[in-house]
Amino acid sequence: MELKHHHEKPVEDAEIVSWKNKLIWSWIFTIPISIIMLSERIFGYSLMSYSIIISIILGFPVIFIFGFDTIKSGIRGLFSFYFNMDSLIALGTIIAYITGILSFTGLVLDYSGIAAMIMAFFTTGKYVEAKARGKASQEIKKLLELGAKKARILKGDKEIEINIEEIKVGDLIIIKPGEKIPTDGMVFKGESSVDESMISGESMPVDKLKGDNVIGATINQDGILYVKATKIGKDTFLAHIIELVEEAQGSKIPIQKLADKITSIFVPSILIISILTFIGWLIFSNDVSKAIGVSISVLVIACPCALGLATPTALMVGSGIGARKGILIRKGEAIQTMKEIKIIAFDKTGTITKGKPEVTDIYSIIKKDKLLEIAGSLEKLSEHPIAKAIVEKANLKKYIKINKFKILRGRGIEGKISDKELIIGNRTLMEERGINFKELEDQITKFENEGKTTMIIAQNKNIIGVIAVADSLKEDSKEAIKILNYKKYKTVMITGDNERTARAIANQVGINEVIANVLPEYKVKKVEELQKKGMVAFVGDGINDSPALKQSNVGIAMGSGTDIAIESGDIVLAKSSLIGVVQSINLSKATFRKIKQNLFWAFAYNTIAIPLAVAGILHPVVAEIAMALSSITVITNANLLRRAKI
Amino acid sequence: MRKLKLNIEGMHCASCASNIERSLKNVKGVNNANVSLMLKKGIIEIEDFVSEEDLKKAVAKVGYKVIKIE
Repeated sequence: MELKHHHEKPVEDAEIVSWKNKLIWSWIFTIPISIIMLSERIFGYSLMSYSIIISIILGFPVIFIFGFDTIKSGIRGLFSFYFNMDSLIALGTIIAYITGILSFTGLVLDYSGIAAMIMAFFTTGKYVEAKARGKASQEIKKLLELGAKKARILKGDKEIEINIEEIKVGDLIIIKPGEKIPTDGMVFKGESSVDESMISGESMPVDKLKGDNVIGATINQDGILYVKATKIGKDTFLAHIIELVEEAQGSKIPIQKLADKITSIFVPSILIISILTFIGWLIFSNDVSKAIGVSISVLVIACPCALGLATPTALMVGSGIGARKGILIRKGEAIQTMKEIKIIAFDKTGTITKGKPEVTDIYSIIKKDKLLEIAGSLEKLSEHPIAKAIVEKANLKKYIKINKFKILRGRGIEGKISDKELIIGNRTLMEERGINFKELEDQITKFENEGKTTMIIAQNKNIIGVIAVADSLKEDSKEAIKILNYKKYKTVMITGDNERTARAIANQVGINEVIANVLPEYKVKKVEELQKKGMVAFVGDGINDSPALKQSNVGIAMGSGTDIAIESGDIVLAKSSLIGVVQSINLSKATFRKIKQNLFWAFAYNTIAIPLAVAGILHPVVAEIAMALSSITVITNANLLRRAKI
Repeated sequence: MRKLKLNIEGMHCASCASNIERSLKNVKGVNNANVSLMLKKGIIEIEDFVSEEDLKKAVAKVGYKVIKIE
């Protein structure tokens, strides 16, 4: 990883630096030529014979030394039939330069000064373009540079510092406050809060205790952490994110197809148009010089770059902004499909809810603390998620000793505290034991209608309280659904849970439609049915809902902690929050808008500029400037995407 | 089938990327090629029999250089 980083940065910079050098030297030689050309315009042709010699001499290095790479690549393109942008510039400048020499025969006018100016403007344009392109990829580059370079590990009882590539799974890493966590791992000792914003976009630091997972490249805030490395190199969370983003960059968006087709036949078409223009002008004006000038304009004005860059630059900026916010666009196509989406279907557990039950209500006949002490001590002995929720809520320092503990599967638990018989369980268990819970019937029904699981606690066959447990909503689920409903999306919940629980959650969060009792394998079917009514986006976790994510038109996979399911989901959310869904929609739409603007501009530019050049209205230098500006405009416009509200 | 990532040097325009794509796709056994000018990378899907040398040659033929294959 690290080696790659050291490598990648200089490549980009080298390109900018090389254009910069070419640009400076080109202008040093071109400025005198420009002055001579301008003064001729003003004072007439008195200096003419000298001026041609001067522009031939000064123009030579501009075109053939500073422009060598362009000329070489252009000519290679011409001969190998892999035409490129350089072919047009090479042809345009060489022809213009040769007229300078031929002008001594008196047959043609001299364009050699113009040749130098075209090359100088071309390198200037390329320099600005390379810089703008660098800016477009700045977020991605930051991501690449995010990883730590060194790690401090414990070997025996000695701390040693090693390079990140040398780290092995199982190594014990020591991370001091303020330091970057070098790789993915699990806290072995110590506690601290960790800033994960660079990965998940979540601004609140996350507390990490023994047994918690930590992510490489996140920053340890205030305590010393001893972390056992669990994933290294290509397997880390960060490496996965980078892979996702790069993959998206390589993926093609349908709207770009036409532009790509045009790009691939663009240069040969321009060559033909330019030849036809020359012949046309020669026949109709009978002026070789004019015909040459016009066809040079045609050669240098045409720019496949604006067309070719329209989509990739916008996608680059868009996916970069997304990555910073924990939204990973995996398939570029999703950006285009997103605007057609009418229905958003959600999985319930772990997507809308936290996927982890919590105690929500306690109704106690005896003292509440006492109830919790009893329930907590008993449930401590069970492994059930509901038991864990109760233990967590009770948060006891000391547990009461329990005798004769027994798990009654699917119903509850029982045990003895000194001589008191205690039972915690559901209705069925109470009925089985002949325990009367009429007194709390209203409470219990109320909790159940709210979609909560109710645990009744009885002591010596008398009920002493009720604890309601529910898989509670994630903090921002309600807000997210509200926004989506407001934006006129049809929101649907597809869940394996029973109708009552599902309805209760749906009502709380504001979802219109509930499809309950759906076995995992039938989720795909349900998505298919929804698709008959409109394009469907499915939001679910990447592991269980993988088929439904694939079936839907846009699959949005929720990341959970350190695992990103790379294979499923067109968009992957690194943070497990529904607001991410809203953000992905906003981001996709904003990015797609930019792409459309860029393509429109690129098409418009070429369809207007080329005919103008053919008509002989544009001076070759003006044509070259217009060309350079067209691709710079496209990239700059893409960079403006950063201003969009996501 | 394998997926490879090529780091390519020297691209500076959109037609460069499309030329490299075209040249790579012409190599026998290359099923798909996506070249990104922005990343200076190409992601290609190839049959197992395709050698890295062939890919490098295809890129060199149109005037660019593969600096790394992942």
